[in-house]
Amino acid sequence: MSAYRVLVGCKRVIDYAVKIRVKPDKLGVVTDGVKHSMNPFDEIAIEEAIRLKEKKLASEVVAFSCGPTASQETLRTAMAMGADRAIHVEIDGKEAETLQPIHVAKLLSKVAQEEKIDIIMLGKQAIDDDCNQTAQMTASLLNWPQATFASKIENDNGSFKVTREIDGGLETIKVKLPAVISADLRLNEPRYATLPNIMKAKKKPLAKKKPSDYGVEVKAHQQVLKVEDPPVRQAGQKLETVEDLVVKLKDGGFV
Amino acid sequence: MKEIYCKFKSTRDDVAALIEQNTEISTDHMTPEIKLRLITPNCHLWHSNGDDSPFLEPFWAFYWPGGQALTRYILDNGERFNGKTIVDIGSGCGATAIACKLVGARHVIANDIDSVAAESIKLNSELNDVTLFITTQNLIGQSSAKCDIILLGDMFYDEQFANIISDWLKKSMTKSSTVFIGDPGRHSFQNHPMREQLKKLACYELPKSCKLQNNGLISSSVWEMSI
Repeated sequence: MSAYRVLVGCKRVIDYAVKIRVKPDKLGVVTDGVKHSMNPFDEIAIEEAIRLKEKKLASEVVAFSCGPTASQETLRTAMAMGADRAIHVEIDGKEAETLQPIHVAKLLSKVAQEEKIDIIMLGKQAIDDDCNQTAQMTASLLNWPQATFASKIENDNGSFKVTREIDGGLETIKVKLPAVISADLRLNEPRYATLPNIMKAKKKPLAKKKPSDYGVEVKAHQQVLKVEDPPVRQAGQKLETVEDLVVKLKDGGFV
Repeated sequence: MKEIYCKFKSTRDDVAALIEQNTEISTDHMTPEIKLRLITPNCHLWHSNGDDSPFLEPFWAFYWPGGQALTRYILDNGERFNGKTIVDIGSGCGATAIACKLVGARHVIANDIDSVAAESIKLNSELNDVTLFITTQNLIGQSSAKCDIILLGDMFYDEQFANIISDWLKKSMTKSSTVFIGDPGRHSFQNHPMREQLKKLACYELPKSCKLQNNGLISSSVWEMSI
């Protein structure tokens, strides 16, 4: 059995701890001067790929990102976590705003073919747009099997047994390689990048590409009409006695 | 932070003090017979992203897996290094050069272009009671006709640099010199055309402490180059 080549998608998103603000024109959210980091589900995907490498199941882990120049920081983080090298498909700020899963899926499928990839590992969704489409679209473009929402991955002689988190509980499926796997929250707990790893990651190769290098056009197929804040929760009321509560409920027509 | 570095760079005593403050003496590696001042998980810098580091690039503060394997090989095969004149390129913490002295090498040159590394090599050689000739001159590209052995511990971490080294070796190697390389399977080494001229001498599994600072790597090998 030869070791697999793994491609991992790493999206740069607004950090999960940042309070999101809608732009005044209501066509997007404020990104300038806001802390960004790797999409947490992608961190889980890269962690799983590194674990495959540490088990000698993977021969090489390639991190991929499509976005503005700053996406290279995200790729350095992926390499500090243990990816061997990275590919950055650079697009400018304007294009990045309208970049959609179909574009990333097309790029991923081209890279996978060029790099003779056996497994594409992706986060199940990005925490900014919550699309949950890239893994499925990539599998479809390549005509590869897909195992989405993975919470456990086991090698089974050239195929993978994947436990999936579904509404009713857990589903176990078997997929043949090459395949696309998307990571759910409970697949693993990603490691932190420490100084020795961060320093060594600076020296790892990072290839800079353009969408046209892969023959992919990143033209938007959708238009954002409106972005709104979630509704503000109304303040509650504190009542002294059960009797007061019953009166309030009656007034409100609930009982 | 660069100002602090420059300030401390001015006097050697200050650099030594700064190294001592930010590292600890460790034997938790593949060659526990050698004591080394390293940034370990017990040091605050280990957990930093480098922004608050008083050192620009403290490569010398980590015992690289390629260097660990090469040093282990030297200690276990002392007869190949005994009585020889040896140059250790990219010496870092100096462990490999120290090992050569411990097995009876006649003359050992520890070479690293980083002046803080040179100070770290000095501190570590003192810790292990050996004397090394330390130089920060860039020896890569220069003629090395006088030495018997060239050591390269984990120097193939960068694609461009890997090519510079291999070109230099091709030009400067004589029939009487031997090159030993330690590498944990880095991308720039795995795919380098130079690999055809190399013979694998040994492969070691990395200890846990080493895996922790080299995510994704599990073993490290020693190679001999022949012309």
